[in-house]
Amino acid sequence: MRRRLFVLGLLGFVVLATASVAAAANGGFTPQNAHSPNAQRINQAYYVVLAFTAGIFLIVETLLVMFIWRYRSRGRPRTVDGGQVHGNNRLEIIWTLIPVGIISVIFGFVFYKLPGISGPPTARAANPLEVKLDAHQFYWQFTYPNGAVSIDELHLPVGRVVKIDINSEDVNHSWWIPQLGGKTDAIPGRTNHIWYQPDKIGTYYGQCAEFCGLFHERMLARAIVTSEADYESFVRTRAAKELGKAEWAGVCAKCHGPQGEGDYGPAIAANPTLVQPSGLENIVRNGRGLMPAVGSNWTQQQFRALETYIKASVYKGASTSGG
Amino acid sequence: MAARSEAAYPVTWKSGRVARWLVTVDHKRIGILYIATALVFFFAGGILALLMRAQLATPDESIITKNRYDEVMTMHGTTMVFLVVVPILAGFGNYLVPLMIGARDMAFPRLNALSYWLFLLGGIVLYLSWFSASGPARAGWTSYPTLSELQFSPGHGQDYWILSLHILTLSSLASAINFLVTIHNMRTRGMTWMRMPLFVWTIEVYSVLLLAALPALSAGLTMLLLDRRGYTHFFIPSEGGNAVLYQHVFWFFGHPEVYIMVLPAMGMVSEILPVFARKPIFGYTAIVLSTIFIGFYSMLVWAHHMFTVGLPTGLDGFFMVSSMIIAVPTGIKIFNWVATTWRGNLQFDTPMLFALGFIALFTMGGLSGIFLAAFPIDWQVHDTYYVVAHFHYVLFGGSLFAIFGGVYYWWPKIFGRLLDERLGKLHFWLTFVGFNLTFLPQHMLGLLGMPRRVWTYHHGGLWETYNLISTIGSGIMGLGMLIFLVNIWRTQIARRGIRAGNDPWLADTLEWYTTSPPPPQNFDSVPYVTSARPLRDLRRRLAEQT
Repeated sequence: MRRRLFVLGLLGFVVLATASVAAAANGGFTPQNAHSPNAQRINQAYYVVLAFTAGIFLIVETLLVMFIWRYRSRGRPRTVDGGQVHGNNRLEIIWTLIPVGIISVIFGFVFYKLPGISGPPTARAANPLEVKLDAHQFYWQFTYPNGAVSIDELHLPVGRVVKIDINSEDVNHSWWIPQLGGKTDAIPGRTNHIWYQPDKIGTYYGQCAEFCGLFHERMLARAIVTSEADYESFVRTRAAKELGKAEWAGVCAKCHGPQGEGDYGPAIAANPTLVQPSGLENIVRNGRGLMPAVGSNWTQQQFRALETYIKASVYKGASTSGG
Repeated sequence: MAARSEAAYPVTWKSGRVARWLVTVDHKRIGILYIATALVFFFAGGILALLMRAQLATPDESIITKNRYDEVMTMHGTTMVFLVVVPILAGFGNYLVPLMIGARDMAFPRLNALSYWLFLLGGIVLYLSWFSASGPARAGWTSYPTLSELQFSPGHGQDYWILSLHILTLSSLASAINFLVTIHNMRTRGMTWMRMPLFVWTIEVYSVLLLAALPALSAGLTMLLLDRRGYTHFFIPSEGGNAVLYQHVFWFFGHPEVYIMVLPAMGMVSEILPVFARKPIFGYTAIVLSTIFIGFYSMLVWAHHMFTVGLPTGLDGFFMVSSMIIAVPTGIKIFNWVATTWRGNLQFDTPMLFALGFIALFTMGGLSGIFLAAFPIDWQVHDTYYVVAHFHYVLFGGSLFAIFGGVYYWWPKIFGRLLDERLGKLHFWLTFVGFNLTFLPQHMLGLLGMPRRVWTYHHGGLWETYNLISTIGSGIMGLGMLIFLVNIWRTQIARRGIRAGNDPWLADTLEWYTTSPPPPQNFDSVPYVTSARPLRDLRRRLAEQT
């Protein structure tokens, strides 16, 4: 008896300690704070489901523990029968119908909220920003309406509706920024869509959610929400300036190391192919051996940016006449 | 024991210590072989799980390499689903179904032996793929194309994976047919459908689901193999194929598979609970109907694994409703089990602890499934550790807890000795506490944004805390499993287990009517069955006569 109380007390303490630590940091007991209407509505649906399931959970587990305590044998031998109850039709009908009712409510609520989750309200949807997302092993590539490109970083103006067309160039990936919205798979041969309307300036983190191979865990993503003016300056000028560096960091360095010193992939910092434009383009576009065809759909602008950056900041070999 | 009862048969080479296991067509020996082999694979898969937890204990860890991690993750999932839970249930089915229905053996004893040897062969093929030139498969246990296509998964690991699953499919199909014919034709006098033990009912539905679902898996695997080695392009979009088609085919098998793994486990709980509550099961008919209902609906919910691939809203809605409907019969079962303990004389032997643990944990796994069925919520939690937590609550907290309960419950029948109660209780508590420490924090990790199948992560803080708790929990579970091994050693090899009579638990069903272990022919005579609890009827008649 005393030992049981001790164990119960200990368990209670552990639960309370964990809960308080976690609650202090909103630590995974609830969905993350949402900063887009679709993510907010998903959170509302989550709380509705949570209310019902938590109730059922408490009822079932409490009854179970109560019965275990109340009807324990207390030294009665095995030969003593319990109450020979074979069932109770009325009770069984009740606990069939109540869940049916709960499911109907959840279903109704989800479909009531759905229009604001799967697409933006038409009133706000005028003049949306349209961004194209190509997922690759192992990076994200965003193309903005004016042709500007960014890697692993999605730049968005605050308050504006953005629609993203999602595609994959190789295997299945899944695009996911939890604070802005749900996942959307990137599947080769198929275009999927998601939309956001970020309500606050800030940086939101996410990563690839569908297992896509060796560097799945390195497919990190950031959504950088800025003022309309900052966004415009990014797509007009900064994107082009930062492109080469972003390509090196997002596409090459994950395998070959930050300085090209070699990691999973071979050391390439001193490899003369780096500074032969046609050789570099060939490898990046088509892959070689274990290296995937990372740049299968790149534009000339993208190749030029990478060449320039590598020549200036990565290449450690002897300078070549062509370089 | 077994040797003595076989002395009546002529002694040939087939009676040798090893040979009699190799040539056996006796359902009891085949059942033991199934269970023992599946337990060996369980420990192999468990070691793989501990390796993964060690790798994930802290951020930016590299105890094992990326490559190795993907292999370990793929092999852990494939092992636990195809080489542990399904075959161990087939093992219990083999051992128990003929005994429970008062039959002499399965309908097709040789086919039964074939099923077992194919299962062993499939397991060996899968594990030998560790030695193929490029290692075993590493595209996850679901092996979605295009990742599993030759271009992205070169080498032969994936091909061995396909071959192994093909062999296991044949094994399960043969045993499903065998179960169905046995249950339909070989029930003893008086055992009508509604007097049949609930475990036999679940094996019936398990077999129907295997027959319905496995051909889809075989078809999907064959298409994948042809894509890889035969120049077709079923799943290669750049050649005109469709990568999503595989997901439909795989999950058309994959979701019934979930219930294939959980229904017989529920059947075990329905056998254990009433015996240790000294009561009849609450609502026998409702439990039978809910089993059939779950089996039927399990065929209609597969695309809830695919809510993020971009299905039309109508389809998402349909699969949301069908998935949630399954909660109703599942709820009926849980309420009936809880009600079975009401006004009982509860005996807390180890089988009962595991059965009660099953109810507590399975409830949690079922309820987290409601979140996943509501597809907009699934868009957030899909493919995260939340899902990992959910299906471990169902498959480990559910199926495996019931199976361990079954091991402790039927061990004295199978081997004639009771497993040690003190070690058994220690095994239960270590597993129960370790299980919750391992998988409860994974719900939070999922909501924090940690995807499944990642080799490592780069966040400290709560990610690290929860992962560390999870790893510690897995160690505690590992300790529990070692205690289980010690218990088997102590009981059976050191022969210190208490000898059990025919019926140590004062149980209800026919397998307890015969000796422990039963003779080769199972029964000399079988009493006429007048209810779902023939042994209780018998005990009462005996008490009235004296």
